[in-house]
Amino acid sequence: MCVMGKPLNKAFESLGKGNYGGVWVPLFNRSGSLLQEQILDAGNAWRIALEETAAALPLAQEDIDLLRDFGELLGKSDRDMQHAVLAMEKEKVSALERKAKEEAETTGKLYRNLGALLGAAAVILLI
Amino acid sequence: MEKVRHLHALDRISSYLPDRLKRVVSRMDPGKAAGLEELRINAEMPLVGVFSGFDCFIAADGSFTCRHDQAFRVGREEVEELFYRLCEHSVYAYQDDIARGFLTLKGGYRAGICGKAVYQGQTLKGFKDISSICIRIPRELKGCAEPIFPFIRAGRHDICNTLVISPPRCGKTTLLRDLCRIISTGSEAADFAGLRTVIVDERSEIAACYRGVPQNDCGPRTDVLDGCRKAEGIEMALRGLSPAVIVVDELGTGQDAESIKMAWNAGARIVATAHAYDINDLRERLGFGILIGEGGFERYIVLGIRNGSRWVKVWDAYGNRLYSDQAFRMPDGVFRVHSHGAEMFREAESQAACTSEVQGHPAVPGERDVRNGETVEQGF
Repeated sequence: MCVMGKPLNKAFESLGKGNYGGVWVPLFNRSGSLLQEQILDAGNAWRIALEETAAALPLAQEDIDLLRDFGELLGKSDRDMQHAVLAMEKEKVSALERKAKEEAETTGKLYRNLGALLGAAAVILLI
Repeated sequence: MEKVRHLHALDRISSYLPDRLKRVVSRMDPGKAAGLEELRINAEMPLVGVFSGFDCFIAADGSFTCRHDQAFRVGREEVEELFYRLCEHSVYAYQDDIARGFLTLKGGYRAGICGKAVYQGQTLKGFKDISSICIRIPRELKGCAEPIFPFIRAGRHDICNTLVISPPRCGKTTLLRDLCRIISTGSEAADFAGLRTVIVDERSEIAACYRGVPQNDCGPRTDVLDGCRKAEGIEMALRGLSPAVIVVDELGTGQDAESIKMAWNAGARIVATAHAYDINDLRERLGFGILIGEGGFERYIVLGIRNGSRWVKVWDAYGNRLYSDQAFRMPDGVFRVHSHGAEMFREAESQAACTSEVQGHPAVPGERDVRNGETVEQGF
């Protein structure tokens, strides 16, 4: 986005069309089309697109809140500042990812323990 | 046809404007609005419309007025919103343009930007706190150079090195663009085949490229070096693009003059413009003397406005006047405004008449026009 100097609507369009969009394709496409219409600024376009597509995304409310704020700073500054904004958001997302992994591990351990417990119960019942 | 095109251009601008401004522009009398050349939008200041040779304020009901207290006032937030819209909400994508002080928009519009300059070391990085925006409405007037072209043609496959001279806002770039189109396309009427042309468009005004695509018709054999400095661009063009003709706008420095010489040595023809009131005015400038006189430009097209009417003259290198049109009708601007009969417009225009003849280009007694079959007697 910053290196190629593509405007946001074109950048979103590319992400929507590309193979790397994954589950985010509807979000990128909707943001791009809202910006293209020149009715909304980037923050509002991103927020509305996120609200419209959030239900289909595998995200917790905390994740959605973080993404919503991210749109506010998009496109409003020069390349250096945009790089800084993106780096900061990346940090925040990484923190959320670590937290999600820890939760998954905890939950996984719980399920593993539950599995063992159920296995033991089944063995007891069989005996 | 031009009127329709111009109104369409205003519609396009409207898509960028914040709601209140859009409403004001939509209420303007289409006849008068057709002559609009610039829209000047300053934060907390009256909205100003610039016409050929004069300007006036625009009221909230879209009418034109001389009284600033009756004019529509633009809010600071509206200027900021307009700025973001012009940047497609992607300031980073227009960063280089912003650092040069203007944005080139789709359709060939140009928006000049004013605000607080931000420096990084010695380099101007951009602007913040945008305080005013001047939207210049493009003038692509196809055919305006056709009466002049035969005087710069030098055979079916060649043209003369030509310099277009005028004070600001007399139509130099418009004329240059159309000359470029004719040179590149060719002209059956003038028995001209068309030549490979390179435009070194330092200010993106000639071709008005938007994302690499020229928004103005510059001909099918034209390559555009967009945003490239003239001296570097001319050298690059000569090395890589083998042009027969190089087109450049607004020569101004000794370095530009050296580059032109280099192009001539490489066998390329030059069609260029320069700000000046007349040829002598230009000759006196540092570094420009080498381009004028023997071995320099072969044709000079001098433009001006007098009492609201544009005029054009073509001279050869020996001071012979080849062509003169005292009512050179670029099919636009003041003539159309007059035809709608607004007294205020007439008065303002006659008061604000550009003064190029008065200030710098004296009428030469006894000069004659070879176009009318008369002998050429007079030099410049």
